[in-house]
Amino acid sequence: MGVVNELILGFAEAMTWQNLLFAFVGCLLGTVIGVLPGIGPVAGIALLIPLTLNLDPAGSIIMLCAIFYGTTYGGTITSVLLNTPGEAASAITAIDGYQMTKMGRAGVALTIAAFGSFIGGSIATVGLVLAAKPLGSLGLLIGPPEFFALVVVGISLLVALAGRSMVRALISGALGLLISMVGIDPVMGAPRFTFSMERLLDGVSFVAVIVGVFGLSEILSYRPGKKPVSVHAPGFRSLLPTRQDWKRSTPSFARGTGIGFAMGLIPGMTGSVSSLLSYGAEKKFSKHRAELGHGAIEGVAGPETANNAHANGALIPLFTLGIPASPTIAVLMGAFLQQGLTPGPTLFAEHGTLAWTIIASLFIGNVLLLVLNVPLVGLWTSILRVPYPILAGLILMFMVVGAYTINFSVFDVFVMIIFGLVGVGLRHLDIPLAPMVLTLVLGPLMERSLRESLDISHGSFIIFAERPITMVLLVLALLIIVSPLLKLRKPAALAVDDPES
Amino acid sequence: MKKLISALTVGALSLAATGCSSASGTQSADSFPENGKSIELVVAFSPGGPVDTAARLIQPVLEKELGTNVEVVNKPGAGGQIGYTAIANAKPDGYTIGSVGSPSIVVIPLDESRGAAFSREDLQPLARQVVDPLVIAVQPDSPYSTLKDLLEASKAKPGEINATTTGQMGGEHFAIAQINESTGAAFSPVHFSEGASQASTAFLGKHVGVLVGNVSEVVDLTKQGKAKVLGIMDSKRSDILPEVPTFSEQGYEVISATARGYAAPAGLPDAVAKKLEDAMQAAIENEEVIEKMDNLGLTTSFQNSQEYGEFWAKQEEDYKAVLPLVQAK
Amino acid sequence: MEGESTERSSVSGRRSIAAGQAVIAMVGLYSLVASIELGLWSAMGPGAGFFPAVLGAVLALLAFVWFVQERAGIHRSESGDPLDHAHVWAVVISLLVLAAALPFLGFQLVVFAFLMYHLGLRAGIGWIKSAVISLGGSVGVFYLFTSVLHVSLPVSSLLPLNMIGL
Repeated sequence: MGVVNELILGFAEAMTWQNLLFAFVGCLLGTVIGVLPGIGPVAGIALLIPLTLNLDPAGSIIMLCAIFYGTTYGGTITSVLLNTPGEAASAITAIDGYQMTKMGRAGVALTIAAFGSFIGGSIATVGLVLAAKPLGSLGLLIGPPEFFALVVVGISLLVALAGRSMVRALISGALGLLISMVGIDPVMGAPRFTFSMERLLDGVSFVAVIVGVFGLSEILSYRPGKKPVSVHAPGFRSLLPTRQDWKRSTPSFARGTGIGFAMGLIPGMTGSVSSLLSYGAEKKFSKHRAELGHGAIEGVAGPETANNAHANGALIPLFTLGIPASPTIAVLMGAFLQQGLTPGPTLFAEHGTLAWTIIASLFIGNVLLLVLNVPLVGLWTSILRVPYPILAGLILMFMVVGAYTINFSVFDVFVMIIFGLVGVGLRHLDIPLAPMVLTLVLGPLMERSLRESLDISHGSFIIFAERPITMVLLVLALLIIVSPLLKLRKPAALAVDDPES
Repeated sequence: MKKLISALTVGALSLAATGCSSASGTQSADSFPENGKSIELVVAFSPGGPVDTAARLIQPVLEKELGTNVEVVNKPGAGGQIGYTAIANAKPDGYTIGSVGSPSIVVIPLDESRGAAFSREDLQPLARQVVDPLVIAVQPDSPYSTLKDLLEASKAKPGEINATTTGQMGGEHFAIAQINESTGAAFSPVHFSEGASQASTAFLGKHVGVLVGNVSEVVDLTKQGKAKVLGIMDSKRSDILPEVPTFSEQGYEVISATARGYAAPAGLPDAVAKKLEDAMQAAIENEEVIEKMDNLGLTTSFQNSQEYGEFWAKQEEDYKAVLPLVQAK
Repeated sequence: MEGESTERSSVSGRRSIAAGQAVIAMVGLYSLVASIELGLWSAMGPGAGFFPAVLGAVLALLAFVWFVQERAGIHRSESGDPLDHAHVWAVVISLLVLAAALPFLGFQLVVFAFLMYHLGLRAGIGWIKSAVISLGGSVGVFYLFTSVLHVSLPVSSLLPLNMIGL
């Protein structure tokens, strides 16, 4: 059966009205998260995981993926209309987007951004389709030793995610690993760090930790003093770009897609790197580069295309190798695991139909995002007029609901509160949070696959040297780790002010 | 701070538990269930899993039989331990009952390191609904075509042949220990604690040569010709895999199965217990329920409270015998 | 005056960072010690305590390296904006009370009180407006989850409250 056939089957599954509804709701929620200040994509997705646990795996993953790329678009709205990016990947859009708003061309900016997101997202998904089959067919070759090596590659990305200080990034990673060790260990079945609490035998709930560290701590660190904002939704007629706008945007769409897609494939790059690079490319190559900074459409089209191409492109390493390339993807991976699905080559072997359904739904989601967002811009802007205390109160309430519904127990609510304080502490100490999410997800996988490998080899470590795929991957991980010495990691200038890393 | 919070939580939980049960007041057995008072059916696993699905299937029939609301309440966590503790510690008045599954219900109290706050005696069985025997399978191109070949090969090369489990002290691990103990074979278990699908992937990729799993898990693999089932660990052949001989047919006395049923806190008044047991039997043997269970690949195998109690005791005995073998050294 | 106060705050910032380093080192040492009891090595390779022990040691070591770096002024951490302590405590304590009361009083009552506290009392939003929003956030959300999404939220365990549907 060829790729096309499987994709068509996937479309058939994804087009059921339930799955369409999930994709639709996901896009909607994702956009809300992107628009809302004080709740980023990481905490937002984690918060919504418990809600999706009751759904069947396909529905739940479809919804979470839709939320994931919906956030990228939501961030754009606030960048353009308010000059305050709802989300880091859209920060650069604010420069020209807000200028356009001042010129009364906000509607055009938002439409072009939506269209660019659609193009970038769809093309990146085509890339996923093409990559899925060759990599997915490796599935059965990936035994526990290969899987262990893959996880090691994932953990070596810590280095790529390190911000200003390698030491503090490693501390964050080690803390994440330690937290993931709580509970019954996969080796001897002995309870570890459970302090004799039954609730901890399963480990600390991943969702509660993420919601606490990323969401609650954000609200706790809030400093009042921001002035209430006044925004006006653009009228419907002003949403339509002119022929000139389209003509000028087309090359930017192409550049944005290329940059976003390529960056998305590289583990450790966040969406904001893509949009920054894309803006840089416009500055260098655009015919109208002199206008950039003064409301040029290219300054919106390029970066917005890039960040969505990035978001969809970043799903490729997740789907085909099981490597989460950024904290947001790590949270998404956590959701997969909670549904009993392990992303990676084995996903296509074990749950082929499901994997293709999700991929098909990515196309559908990109279309939905386009039709949803252009007309609904007015609604999103009205959210921004809600005073912060009301938003904060309601967000806190949803965090409690989210934490409670993980296991239907207040225990996880307490866990969330504790980790909210931990998050505040870490922010205060200038310790990056991203490595922690990564290791939190990968830690248990690493220990388990090591144990399984050693079970197979009856305790001999030679198994890792005997298998070619394992060796290649381990060498790759080693290269990533030593890359800072070779000055290959992301330029320091890009790492600054990137809340995702 | 942490200590304080944990104390608070424990306090809150235990108060909640007493709150729930003390609310019931007194009643005479004949009037059970009191008008308008609902019965809680505790499921110790997450919504959507096989245990939860089974409970939700019998729920409407139970409601009709008992003439009151039956609420399915999920209390997942710690491989069932949280929910089981809640059932065992509830007031034995019939208003709290729960789903139980073995081996978890048998193994959790046996394993001291888990510090379980209940024992086997704290629960009284109501009925068994499902039994899903374990099987042993090899790859289709494997040189072993009978159970005897495989066991002899394992005897000849002790520890060399690997077999999958779904985790340390899981049902499959006990089964392997039972096989090793009673046949003299020496399989090495490889624990896939993420679950059965991981184990079968490793088996399909030939990373592990022998698959130990439930009948319901291997049916599809057998149909697709991806696995050769050599023996079933039950007293009789399975309806789903009728061509597979049992272990005892081939001269090995090993019986091992995953079973699921329902239980109540020990000490129910006899009349209440009788009412619940009758309602359970009606619900489990309801044709529609049986059909839906079949669609899930689960064969209904009803046992009344007494038989289920004996089955349970037998399992406990079997597991106790091999417990030292499955506990890590 | 200005300079003096920033200097003072930076001194207290340095102190809190040193305290943080100490806490991290302690966490590392604690897991190291606790892991050794779990068994470092078994017949089949690393034992239950192996990874946590290594991690604990690494954590403690990293905290020390960081301390030295901070001393030497390499990659100095920039303490974020000072926290609004009153805000932090108000949120944390109200959340703790909420979580503790949830099983007894049920979701609707507790969350209504929680939202009223944050909106009406702390933010000074008009009482009627606060009450409407709180009602939506408690009773409304409760029915949204239990009836529409079929996700159960806690109800009160106290009989009189339970009877009236809270």
